[in-house]
Amino acid sequence: MNFRLVFRVTGKTLMVLSMTMLLPLLVCLIYRENPVPFLLAIAITGGVGLLLSLIRSDDHFFPREGFFAVALIWLLVGACGALPFYFCGQFASYIDCFFEAVSGFTTTGSSILTEVESLPHGILFWRSFMHFLGGMGVLVLTIALMPSLGGRTLHLMKAESPGPIVSKLVPKASQSSKILYGIYCGMTIVEIFVLCLVGMPWFDSVVNSFAIAGTGGFAIKNISIAAYGSPAIEIACTVFMLLFSVNFSVYFLILCGKIRQALRSDELKFFLIVVAASTVLISFNIYSMVGTAGDSVRHAAFQVASIISTTGFASTDFNLWPEFSKTILVLLMFIGACAGSTGGAIKCSRVLLLLRAIRREIRQIIHPRSVNVVKLDGRVVDEKDLRSTMIFFAAYMFITLAAILLVSVDNFSFGTTFTAVVTCIGNVGPGLEMVGPMGNFSAFSGFSKIVLSMCMILGRLEIIPVLVLFSGTAWKKS
Amino acid sequence: MKIIIVGDGKVGFALAEHLSQEEHDVTVIDTNDDALRRASEALDVLCVKGNGASLSALREAEAGSADVVIAATSMDEINMVCSLAAKRLGAKYTIARVRNVEYAKELSLLKDSLGIDLVINPENAAAVEISRLLRFPPASNLETFCRGRVELISFRVREEDFLVGKPLSAQSSQIQELPMLFCAVEREGEDVVIPDGSFVPRVGDRLYLIGQPTGLTAFFRLLGRHTPKSRNVFLVGGGRIAYYLAAILDRLGVRVKIVERSEERCRVLSEALPHATILCGDGTDQQLLEEENVAAADAFVALTDRDEDNLIISLYAMQQGIAKVVAKSNRQNYAGIAHAAGLDSVISPKLITAGQILQVVRGMQNSKGSVMNALYKIADGHAEAMEFVANETTRYQGVPLKELKLKKGILIAVLVHNGRIIIPDGSAVISAGDTVIIVSRSHGILDINDIYDDALLDLGGVQ
Repeated sequence: MNFRLVFRVTGKTLMVLSMTMLLPLLVCLIYRENPVPFLLAIAITGGVGLLLSLIRSDDHFFPREGFFAVALIWLLVGACGALPFYFCGQFASYIDCFFEAVSGFTTTGSSILTEVESLPHGILFWRSFMHFLGGMGVLVLTIALMPSLGGRTLHLMKAESPGPIVSKLVPKASQSSKILYGIYCGMTIVEIFVLCLVGMPWFDSVVNSFAIAGTGGFAIKNISIAAYGSPAIEIACTVFMLLFSVNFSVYFLILCGKIRQALRSDELKFFLIVVAASTVLISFNIYSMVGTAGDSVRHAAFQVASIISTTGFASTDFNLWPEFSKTILVLLMFIGACAGSTGGAIKCSRVLLLLRAIRREIRQIIHPRSVNVVKLDGRVVDEKDLRSTMIFFAAYMFITLAAILLVSVDNFSFGTTFTAVVTCIGNVGPGLEMVGPMGNFSAFSGFSKIVLSMCMILGRLEIIPVLVLFSGTAWKKS
Repeated sequence: MKIIIVGDGKVGFALAEHLSQEEHDVTVIDTNDDALRRASEALDVLCVKGNGASLSALREAEAGSADVVIAATSMDEINMVCSLAAKRLGAKYTIARVRNVEYAKELSLLKDSLGIDLVINPENAAAVEISRLLRFPPASNLETFCRGRVELISFRVREEDFLVGKPLSAQSSQIQELPMLFCAVEREGEDVVIPDGSFVPRVGDRLYLIGQPTGLTAFFRLLGRHTPKSRNVFLVGGGRIAYYLAAILDRLGVRVKIVERSEERCRVLSEALPHATILCGDGTDQQLLEEENVAAADAFVALTDRDEDNLIISLYAMQQGIAKVVAKSNRQNYAGIAHAAGLDSVISPKLITAGQILQVVRGMQNSKGSVMNALYKIADGHAEAMEFVANETTRYQGVPLKELKLKKGILIAVLVHNGRIIIPDGSAVISAGDTVIIVSRSHGILDINDIYDDALLDLGGVQ
């Protein structure tokens, strides 16, 4: 392991992170709030980053360095992102701050705060801005801003990008990340204007746009989007949540004028079918509760979009819905968004691959001599990719089960424990019962909060990089 | 520039590596998943799976907007069809690797209608390079500039050489007066350096010399290492390089013996090369080599497909006291091992081809500036030697070299002014029409103007 290189990359990323804190600092100054928490955080993060980036190293970048660096960076980014919360004094402990920051960067949106409306604007802005940064990836930003990281930054991008098969849009990695960030920022700006147009206040629309763009879900109202009570806002949010959970390469293809190729994506079709089916089923199920057909479809669509995109906003308290609807939502927490989007969880393309692999297995048993390949978008999927998809799924499930066991020590109901873990590892945000859309995570013990924070990072980085960080052999020099 | 490489084999991968390091947008097309995986993991390139001769794969790689399409699959026919298809889609420049001996002879007729702008034949290029070495055995490597009027050679310093331990500026006047220049030094475990007068050669250094062939010959006479041209050459391995090499040597009246394992291939060779002795047998078998009295040959060239075999039998040949031993090895790390074992002449067709194509690509990037006539990768690819022709766009004409501030690691090695070859001193000047040979440790020099360090010059007030 080339630790010097890992530290240098980490240092550069922390420097970029400290620069991003200038924006919430600006918000502080505009609203005439106390800028000291941010000044301290910038000084500490920037200082540590500068010291680490001064380490001299060669550029021999191999996959293990990439994975190791990404996992380490996400832990440290969480720790540094927590500093403004810690210094502002409104949080009970540093563990709470760490949980909140990790929840922000991993675009989970689970909060330990019982009351958010009284927080200063700067802190509210930072919470949502973390979603925006974490959505596309902290390292992708670093690569886009600092191409000088050395030749083989691709390993970093690979470790951070979601989805079973990572492909670039254009030949150069740094160019690729610039295009992705361009699409991302462009869509976010459009969203800010649309939300303003449908009647959301300026500050709220900026902050909520960040939360939706990163598919995070930190709300700035205690009862989330329901607080606005406006169907138009809910519909706009639904549309944008769905847009941000589509693979960004689809948008790239559309921008290049290859609309037909873009719409041919199997994953996109699967995603839309799942969204439509869930919406219809939930609409019928909650019809008797809600009363009108329009309202039930609107609420069903909002909640489905919110959960499958792993945003986690709520337009109503779905914890009160019938069991069938709640179960559908929990299943959606496992499926998650498309690969290559800002959403989390297992990802539609993996679910699709697994279903097709199962179909192949059955066919193989019926016709033992038949040779079958698994295809996605009309292309044969390599057996190695298929294998890693299966391993990912198994690891995801094992880690979920282990985390449930660890969190159950706190002695909350099974529904609370189970959905808390599922929602954290899927980077969704709300669960059911105590951690439902109107609840929060403050009642958990410090230990559980750390376990859940780890689940969030495991989920965001798609497990394997974090396991590399904790495997003993990766730490050895040779 | 946007470059598409079809075929991710040895040459394709090496090209992708060099071109992506020079900041080009490189897309690689291949049918083999494993090869693509290796490229996508090691290099910053885009990989497309598919048959490079099919329009769909070329369209996916956006060949229509490509500046250069390089067809380097193992099949000549695919490479030709690929060039044709790419050209029809709108690619600006196509390069095809054509290795087949029959095609290579007849291709000039087909080239235009197939839409191929440049044909490369790595095996032929390697054979030409080896034949040069055999004509000048003391050199480990030899490159030519100005149509052979200037040569760049390298050799290893031995214990008995009088160069050892004395700075270059303190060497005897006989050496100083020769029309040649020490232009680069490779030393075990260190970066390549461009030596100045205070440089002290050590045993084991690999020195690069540039100058007129007569000067270089005189230098090796002084060094006591002069050996005449090889007259009797032993080749092991009867592949394409061996064929091209034997054909060249045959024209020069050199006696050639080729050992080849496959009987069928032996028949083909014996038909095509009537003057050569073709032996069917295992070239790695010592007994066979002894039977054929390999020790009597004055040059030995190992050209089998296996790099490992080539190195081992070359070492055996050196042990037999053969004056000149050359081995083919495509793996760069093996070259280092070979040098350590005292085997100096290692030829890599891959590296030669990469140099040829880089020259074309840089020339296209710099269509308005000075013309690049040649580019060679020397010192295992760590340095480059280039030949330019200065024209009116070249800056600082007429300024003496001693007043110019050049970037670090750059040497103006030779000037050819009105047909006269000059090893420049501080008072020499560059003027339009001159041929300028530059040795550089940094990559990506496209134009003579790229060698000037403008920041330093402005401070000095020279314009």
